[in-house]
Amino acid sequence: MSLDPVFMPLRELAGHLRAGRVSPVDLAETFLTRLEKLGPRYNAVVTVTRDRALAEARRAEEEIAAGRYRGPLHGIPYGAKDLLATGGGIPTSWGAAPFSAQQFAADATVIRRLETAGAVLCAKLAMIELAGGMGYRQPNASFTGPVTTPWSREAWSGGSSSGSGAAVSAGLVPFAIGSETWGSILSPSSNCGITGLRPTYGRVSRHGAMALCWTLDKLGPMALSADDCGLVLEAIAGADPEDPTASARHFRYAADDGPRRFRFGVLAGALEGVSEDMLAAYRRSLDVLRELGTVEETALPDLPWEAAIRTILQVEAASAFDEFIESGGVAGLTAPEDHFLPYARDAVLAKDYMKATRIRGVMAREADRLFERFDALVAPGRLTVANPLGQEFRGGMRGTARDIMGAVGNGAGLPGLIVPNGFGERGLPTSLQLMSRAWEENTLLAAGRAIQARTDWHTKHPPVEP
Amino acid sequence: MTDGEAAKAEVEALLALVTARYGARLDAQQRDGVRKAIESIVEQARAVRAVRLGNADEPTPDFRAYRADEPAR
Repeated sequence: MSLDPVFMPLRELAGHLRAGRVSPVDLAETFLTRLEKLGPRYNAVVTVTRDRALAEARRAEEEIAAGRYRGPLHGIPYGAKDLLATGGGIPTSWGAAPFSAQQFAADATVIRRLETAGAVLCAKLAMIELAGGMGYRQPNASFTGPVTTPWSREAWSGGSSSGSGAAVSAGLVPFAIGSETWGSILSPSSNCGITGLRPTYGRVSRHGAMALCWTLDKLGPMALSADDCGLVLEAIAGADPEDPTASARHFRYAADDGPRRFRFGVLAGALEGVSEDMLAAYRRSLDVLRELGTVEETALPDLPWEAAIRTILQVEAASAFDEFIESGGVAGLTAPEDHFLPYARDAVLAKDYMKATRIRGVMAREADRLFERFDALVAPGRLTVANPLGQEFRGGMRGTARDIMGAVGNGAGLPGLIVPNGFGERGLPTSLQLMSRAWEENTLLAAGRAIQARTDWHTKHPPVEP
Repeated sequence: MTDGEAAKAEVEALLALVTARYGARLDAQQRDGVRKAIESIVEQARAVRAVRLGNADEPTPDFRAYRADEPAR
């Protein structure tokens, strides 16, 4: 192949595929080879789906040649977090040793939608065991080993969509699908220096995805740019009779909505505990945002945002895995803390859980009220750059640090976007996060595109030798 | 009883519950880990309990009456 497709924007790659300058089979082979050769370096891959990929690529090649072009994902390889069910004998491990040989009869809705769009599934990607729902506190919490960010062999990729972040960052796939209950798309996108979109709760069907928390789980794209994320979201969004929470609201990616001014808000408390290098990158990003519109400080009412959402998460996760926990199956998990922390969930009282769900309703209304004045709230992507592999981390989900953006965003089901915005300690990526009103992914993506039109951080890639 | 003492008593009561159910599976280090986790749960529960809500502030789980011959929504 004369063109180098690795790290190429989806829109550009799609143009070459449609024009016949790039063969879908050759393209699949390029990324399958990278997944097989480089995937183990980062512990990023659970299963390379070679046979399925080549079959899908051959079909794409025939269809494109016959003029039956399906759209911008036709012939494009991708990877899926290994909590999305795949039929055809491809295992779906949920990142956990006790489920490593698990198989499902059919594909998850998201996998089916991507197949309909003509995308080519090349790999099931590594993840934190059970999407982190048992309470893990350090990177070594996957049966396939800790995933490293391609920017350093000594630093964690983030989680729980760990392999999705690392694989996109290292150019092992052009895009990937991740899931987020609290931070699981945003964290690896930040640590790996890529762009990740957490859609509104209900935007994307979760049918066939491992359930961790029924009222918090979301699926979304992880890619190299906001534009790439928009193209993928359009393919996977929409109602699904198999998932009653999937909304019938139509999503059409508005990639060409022209220049506009944005009203950005900075949430009080969002900078608490943030490291100096993240703050420095954030301040530089504010200068870019001021070129795009206004930036004003704002605040939310004094509510126990993190505590309420943590309560809901703990109870739903314990219930979703009740049988597994009761049977003692957690002893087979990788992270030592996952062997006992799930038992503590019995200490959450029913009345406190119900109160948390009532507070959540108030929180959602208060957060929505804020968006009467703002198009998006902005904050540093995470507290720190990727932490060292052997180190415990802090976070709002664990009650060891503030994460007001994570609690509001996930608690109220709001869309969030991570864009890379520089490099900090140990040469690791820093990031900016944006969050908008429910169902306003196009606003977020427009802001992301505007930022990426003025900066080139999303075009920086780690040194990866083939 | 002070507020701190009440919280501590609650931790001990909940720890007794968890230990009664799962104690046979836990070594000393794990029991200590469970205690810390319960301390955190009690702290977050007290933050949740401190919020004043109105009678009409409903929970968010969205239950709907079910009929197999009608779409869910």
